Amino acid sequence: MAATRVGPRAREIFTTLEYGPAPESHACALAWLDTQDRLLGHYVNGKWSKPEHRNSVPCQDPITGENLASCLQAQAEDVAAAVEAARTAFESWSRLPGAVRAQHLSRLAKVIQKHQRLLWTLESLVTGRAVREVRDGDVQLAQQLLHYHAVQAYTQEEALAGWEPMGVIGLILPSTFSFLEMMWRICPALAVGCTVVALVPPASPTPLLLAQLAGELGPFPGIVNVISGPASLGPVLASQPGVQKVAFCGALEGGLRLLVQESVWEEAMRRLQARMERLRSGRGLDGAVDMGARGTAARELAQRYVREAQSQGAQVFQAGDVPLDSPFYPPTLVSDLPPASPCAQAEVPWPVVVASPFRTAKEALALANGTPRGGSASVWSERLGQALELGYGLRAGTVWINSHGLRDPAVPTGGCKESGSSWHGGPDGLYEYLRPSGTPTRLSYLSKDLNYDTFGLAVPSTLPAGPETGPTPAPPYGLFVGGRFQAPGARSSRPIQDAVGNLHGYVAEGGAKDIRGAVEAAHQAASGWAGQSPAARTALLWALAAALERRESALASRLERQGVELKAAKAEVELSVRRLRAWGAQAQAQGQTLQVAGLRGPVLRLREPLGVLAIVCPDERPLLAFVSLLAPALAHGNTVVMVPSGACPLLALEVCQDMATLFPAGLVNVVTGDRDHLTRCLALHQDVQALWYFGSAQGSQFVEWASAGNLKPVWVSRGLPRAWEQEAEGAGPELGLRAARTKALWLPMGD
Amino acid sequence: MSTHNQGTELDLSWISKIQVNHPAVLRRAEQIQARRPVKKEWQAAWLLKAVTFIDLTTLSGDDTSSNIQRLCYKAKYPIREDLLKALNMHDKGITTAAVCVYPARVCDAVKALKAVGCNIPVASVATGFPAGQTHLKTRLEEIRLAVEDGATEIDIVINRTLVLTGQWEGSDFIKTSTGKETVNATFPVAIVMLRAIRDFFWKTGNKIGFKPAGGIRSAKDSLAWLSLVKEELGDEWLKPELFRIGASTLLSDIERQIYHHVTGRYAAYHDLPMS
Repeated sequence: MAATRVGPRAREIFTTLEYGPAPESHACALAWLDTQDRLLGHYVNGKWSKPEHRNSVPCQDPITGENLASCLQAQAEDVAAAVEAARTAFESWSRLPGAVRAQHLSRLAKVIQKHQRLLWTLESLVTGRAVREVRDGDVQLAQQLLHYHAVQAYTQEEALAGWEPMGVIGLILPSTFSFLEMMWRICPALAVGCTVVALVPPASPTPLLLAQLAGELGPFPGIVNVISGPASLGPVLASQPGVQKVAFCGALEGGLRLLVQESVWEEAMRRLQARMERLRSGRGLDGAVDMGARGTAARELAQRYVREAQSQGAQVFQAGDVPLDSPFYPPTLVSDLPPASPCAQAEVPWPVVVASPFRTAKEALALANGTPRGGSASVWSERLGQALELGYGLRAGTVWINSHGLRDPAVPTGGCKESGSSWHGGPDGLYEYLRPSGTPTRLSYLSKDLNYDTFGLAVPSTLPAGPETGPTPAPPYGLFVGGRFQAPGARSSRPIQDAVGNLHGYVAEGGAKDIRGAVEAAHQAASGWAGQSPAARTALLWALAAALERRESALASRLERQGVELKAAKAEVELSVRRLRAWGAQAQAQGQTLQVAGLRGPVLRLREPLGVLAIVCPDERPLLAFVSLLAPALAHGNTVVMVPSGACPLLALEVCQDMATLFPAGLVNVVTGDRDHLTRCLALHQDVQALWYFGSAQGSQFVEWASAGNLKPVWVSRGLPRAWEQEAEGAGPELGLRAARTKALWLPMGD
Repeated sequence: MSTHNQGTELDLSWISKIQVNHPAVLRRAEQIQARRPVKKEWQAAWLLKAVTFIDLTTLSGDDTSSNIQRLCYKAKYPIREDLLKALNMHDKGITTAAVCVYPARVCDAVKALKAVGCNIPVASVATGFPAGQTHLKTRLEEIRLAVEDGATEIDIVINRTLVLTGQWEGSDFIKTSTGKETVNATFPVAIVMLRAIRDFFWKTGNKIGFKPAGGIRSAKDSLAWLSLVKEELGDEWLKPELFRIGASTLLSDIERQIYHHVTGRYAAYHDLPMS
């Protein structure tokens, strides 16, 4: 018998039956760091770049504080070099047949498979996250993402005809993130032919490792470039002339809010606490740990929140097998928090759950929707009907029924409200990196002269300009708000001139109060319209089409007055009628069912209305552009506030006469007046859920800046004209994509 | 078994209210197996503990007194003495929890255990095992005879005809299956059973035991079963009065793992005595 290798502890453990450490060796992660002499630079154009005279930041083990490596911090010129590499790579990568890109992505998936231990130990080592979470979750999903997007690349020419890759994508990652978040964005970008420059926070080796794995695959260096540097480099990356789109990514999932029905409150709390008691925290690299640590900063954040919640009267329950020393923090259940206390409104930090009771499902929905966030939510109920009702009603990008946290490359993940309006995965994720073929690339030109404080603030005075001489009868005077024509708050009017400079007519001068009223009216109509069946929406759009046909001669003669030849004017009216019919027909073909691996049951990809959509129409094509924008918005269930063409709003007002008799009040609201001023009012309105702006570059810049206040999705034209009469630009799929948001509703089955 | 389930008024609403989220149960089952690895001396100690939960079983048509005798000897000395000494566990009196045989072999088992000076209980499957499709009268008689022969624990096959028509029976222990079905002890089913035990405990204060049986062959499996019970019910259930593993070949794999832990080598087939 060989010599014994056993210590005295077995006796003790036999009695206590405690768990022991199950350390995962991270030798290979350290060995990889050694290959870089523990000095990480940037990975650009398929090579390591370690420029001289740069600051470096230590990369530390968040648990032990041990120094693992130094990371060089990029400067502006390094960013420029990375963008240049990506731009060069884009020239060839984007022109390859989709099948070749597909093959390359599959090869990358295989490389990850081969080196997965290195990937998961490195990630767990530097982030402190539980290794099983990285190993069983992130690494597997990363491979699935590559495989899924390889298939999308393969079918791109056919499935995405009419779209082309945007170009170089700048990706800015937050201070705490999983490399998986980077994969969700990189995979679709690469699949459709874009190349990527990722700016990662100072000490993040895993994205660099991924870039190296991709770079060493050979023929396409420079498709993924990773530079690490401070957050202050974000604007530098965004303003690089070569960068066509900037994608941001939020921090790792925070804490949770839990709403529990009063009738099961006691029972649910008891079970939750029992389960929490069994959670184990510890070093991420321990295989028997449920929760790792996320560093001292995260611990302090949680500590502060819990202390404040306690001082505001909350009950705090903490449990679990957690090391006492920093940076660990026990899973924490906060309850009885007064609804009006600051902590009840604030974002909940990890690893805290705030539980509150509710009485009825309706109340739960109001509570859940009453926050500025709208990322994901889950509904737990054995009553399928009620669960679905809540699932449809929740304003969130992802809703899981009786499950939580499931993700799949085929299912779009995104958010609404302040959780952002971009999508990852599924078909929606691809469009993030595509633009309709032939449309101009993004101009990274930002005017420094634009004064955000004064843009559109003052309304120029308007004076009487003589009697009206347009075709009779003139449309009723006023703003079309809440289903009827109303006098403007300012009680003044603006003259509209015809093509030769004569007075065509007066329209009401709308202002901030009128916008407020219009948005209110649109909100009142929103739930009714969103609840209409697609068939009802079709019927209404077709009814409007028929009404326009009857009004053809009046519309054509007003267009004539604006300098359009009679024949062309008639054609424009006809085309407008066709647009209404076409979108009406499309209203009935929304959403789809997805089938994903590893889940029995469907995932519904729902297309939901954005809510109240504000549309600032272009000056040109006063009828066609107005109708082309209105129709998709209505077909997708939105209610709208529209600012018609500034040059000739009279055509839109003609259409309003029909809408007044056909449409429910508030469904469409049309406010005339000074475009810049109205744009300002709409962009700064927090309760406008999306904004389309077709006008000057300055106006576009203002809209983007102002809309950041509630992160509403915006679509701006940057002063570029649009060919409204053409199918692609006037009625193409881009409009449909912009007019609704996606929600993924997971419905796992089980007997 | 020291304490018996005193029983409660039958309240079928407890059963009709039960809802099982099947996908969530599957997920939990997967998690427990992946998230609770036990290594090194912890593994050795846990495996020895697992030994004390085993109902060392032989349920073959060709069982005779000689293999019953061998089984009983193994139940008394489940792990080679020198291995236990190396672990400093030789004085802990480690035996399996019981031996489990057919009613007709209870006599042999009682005699064999007596011969080796072992006082562990003899369990007998009874009541028309494994189908239970015999008359109530013969089933009751079977139990009486087994008890007369010295069995102190009876694994009763419940009348599944009654269960499937909603007429339930009570017990001190619940077992995943007879071990003779095509599918026997699985984690998802166990989770549902353990949560039923927990709910019953919360409602009445009565602790019901749990016995997975059938298909538990590897030492690794046994560790997963231990952590499953630890996670779902807690340490208080990790004692032979409340937890048993019905198995016949598991013990030899555990012994092999202990051998490896002590010596650093994998055992040859002939290094360890057969049961």
